[in-house]
Amino acid sequence: MVALQVNGEERTAEDGARNLLSFLRFDLGLTGTKYGCGEGLCGSCTVLVDGQPLRACMTTVGAVAGGSLTTIEGLAQNGELHPVQSAFVEESAMQCGYCIPGFIMTAVGLLSREPNASSAQIREALAENMCRCGTYQRIQRAVERAAGGPS
Amino acid sequence: MNEGGLRIVGEVVVFTAPRQSYAQAAYGNTEPAKQPATWLHVGTDGRATAYAGKVEYGQGIRSGLAMEVADELRLPLDAVDVVLADTDIVPWDMGTFGSQSTARVGMQLRKAAATARQALLELAADRLDLPASELDCRDGSVRSKQDQGRAVSYAELLAGQDLTRELIEDIALTPASDFTVMGKPALRVDAVARATGASQYSQDIIVPGMLFAKVIRAPSYHAKLGEIDASAAERMPGVVQVARDEHLVAVLAESDQQAELAASVVQAQWEEESGQKSHLDMPELLLSSARDPYATQEAGSLEDGFRSADAVLESMYYVPYVSNAPMEPRAAVAQWEDGKLTVWAGTQRPFGLRTELAQRFEIDEDRVRVIAPEIGGGFGSKSMYPVAHEAARLARVAGRPVRVAYSRAEEQTWATFRPAALFEIKSGFRSDGTLVAWECKAYHAGDRPFVGRRGSDTPYDVPNVNVTVYTSDSPLRVGSYRSLGGAANHFAREVHMDEIAEAVGVDPVELRLRNLSQPRFRKVLESAAERFGWSAAKPPSKRGVGVAVGLDVGSYVATCMQVGVQGTEVKVERVAAALDCGLTVNPEGAANQVEGSIVMGLGTALYEAADFQAGVLLNSGFTRYRVPRINNAPQIEVALVGDVETPSTGAGEPGIVPVAAAISNAVFDLTGERHRELPIQRHLR
Repeated sequence: MVALQVNGEERTAEDGARNLLSFLRFDLGLTGTKYGCGEGLCGSCTVLVDGQPLRACMTTVGAVAGGSLTTIEGLAQNGELHPVQSAFVEESAMQCGYCIPGFIMTAVGLLSREPNASSAQIREALAENMCRCGTYQRIQRAVERAAGGPS
Repeated sequence: MNEGGLRIVGEVVVFTAPRQSYAQAAYGNTEPAKQPATWLHVGTDGRATAYAGKVEYGQGIRSGLAMEVADELRLPLDAVDVVLADTDIVPWDMGTFGSQSTARVGMQLRKAAATARQALLELAADRLDLPASELDCRDGSVRSKQDQGRAVSYAELLAGQDLTRELIEDIALTPASDFTVMGKPALRVDAVARATGASQYSQDIIVPGMLFAKVIRAPSYHAKLGEIDASAAERMPGVVQVARDEHLVAVLAESDQQAELAASVVQAQWEEESGQKSHLDMPELLLSSARDPYATQEAGSLEDGFRSADAVLESMYYVPYVSNAPMEPRAAVAQWEDGKLTVWAGTQRPFGLRTELAQRFEIDEDRVRVIAPEIGGGFGSKSMYPVAHEAARLARVAGRPVRVAYSRAEEQTWATFRPAALFEIKSGFRSDGTLVAWECKAYHAGDRPFVGRRGSDTPYDVPNVNVTVYTSDSPLRVGSYRSLGGAANHFAREVHMDEIAEAVGVDPVELRLRNLSQPRFRKVLESAAERFGWSAAKPPSKRGVGVAVGLDVGSYVATCMQVGVQGTEVKVERVAAALDCGLTVNPEGAANQVEGSIVMGLGTALYEAADFQAGVLLNSGFTRYRVPRINNAPQIEVALVGDVETPSTGAGEPGIVPVAAAISNAVFDLTGERHRELPIQRHLR
């Protein structure tokens, strides 16, 4: 039995070998975190563990035992979108939207380390994620907006 | 469906003739099962709900349709809901392809909304005791034009009512000059749901009691299943059964991981097909297997044309197979209840899938419900949706709901590909670069001739022309991709035009203008060049700038590029594109589509190619199949230059057609090396 916190709630998993992404999506029903490649290459499954971005598809529940996880569903507080979420909405930084939760989590992780991240830092961090619709220019603008403007 | 209020019913929309023949050739589903249908409902709360058989797969159609209804019905955008792609609820639709959503279904919804507006005006005329001509609708109310204080809201008008009106086909629509919503940038109506993870895709559908399937897949294309021993798998934890329906075998388990683990111990014998072609065989195969020549353009006499030319140029061009590679691999959940089948599947053709399933199980179509949730990209390929069939078959065997989801490798391997294609172009021109003869032979892989024909004709003024498209053998399964064969055809033609510019020493923009009289073409080219800051120079100018123009689904596009090259890496730095798609309902959405098309085209230009050997796809994952990332994406400026009085044409596809050529031309302009074969980076040293 493994205990962890997900979006502020205590959760348990019977099997520490349970894939973290499957655990979140199918056991907890938190389907905002997406499966894209299963190889840690596309970033669609990015969640925050103790504030840092992690690829859920490459991780087991046991590996994050005792940790505090945040998924895309846990970002908004009291009905208020997280500033990064608002920025994606304002910049229409999405098309199909499948990759967007992953991008947002990666950006939130970056801005928690580097609140005034430069355009270059943003580009470097987000290069870990993929958007096949190609909305990169808008995604870049959205994260720059959340970081307090382009640099 | 909501009770009470005002319902607008009308005929379902069928495609115009060329699109219909495409759809028939591709999928065979052109007949609506049931007429008429509810298009629009205005509730007793004054809100409107639009119903459409289109799917949302990134193109922003939900927002576009909501804007059209909001404008015609004089409602704020947030008072309009859009229900898409549930075959039990929405009007029959052929499918979401060919950039027809705004042009056809949007128009039908505008008519429905205008019909509703007229009905509301009549109700208000009674209520306010004023002639309808003295009333107008604004912000969800009908009011007197003279006395704005005399007003009644839609909600008040519809309280206690249950009305049905027939959609008026020839009703007067709002002129473009009176639009308050259409044509203005708007945020997507579904943006918050996407940014919070609330949007539900096929991969996200969870039904109570659902089993997770892991299908035993063939190790290579065309392999036939022989003996199979699943006894060990059946004893694995969580496994409910190893289900078999003809050649379909799948482990069904309580969890995805249990199904995967058990599937890995299934012992299956396969009879593999030997002698399968590889990607290296393609150029030769395209030529040697060419058949069914079809002239897409024919005029004058090539012989006379080439004889009168000052110079003649001949070149060959090649594009490999590419993967659509949407971020969401296909997934489906199927459930049988009392002989009725419900399938959640992110297909572009929910009604087509319904027909297929009804036929497979020999049941009436009204015993099948297909719901297409949000679709995580597709770019054409999700018309074909085999996992829906698999889920339905397995659910019937199991007697429980079943989920079948492709892994990334399955998605890439078992989806369709954009066909490889080879081109032979011979042009004759005068010393000033004006064309006098154009001969193009296009060889596209696969048995879908309409794919290769799209965009194969040249838009340039040339008196003697012959463009012939051939069908060639295809070792890979081909399917639809953004613009079908349009992007490949444009690549060959637009690189060749650049070669003519080089041959006569004329600036590539100027060379194109000398050969283009179509005003809409000239306008997009001049607009893109101006936005880009293009200055005329004899090629190669060593500046790394390139241009190409295109025409797809009735929309005109031109693109200018600035590239840099470092070793074997091409960096596209800056792009200016101009699109004329007539009336642009949602400029923000159209610009977004063009930006995305440019990034997608960049991948095909520089690194994308599906490699295969002995029936195995060699790059079935993102480790080996490279697609553009944010650090490869250029700065893009999009100018929308369509006339508001010109009917809307597509915006989702045209943006890609000039991209690969513009990049190739820009690389030539920088390095002096001509790239006639894609992807370019494989040929840089």
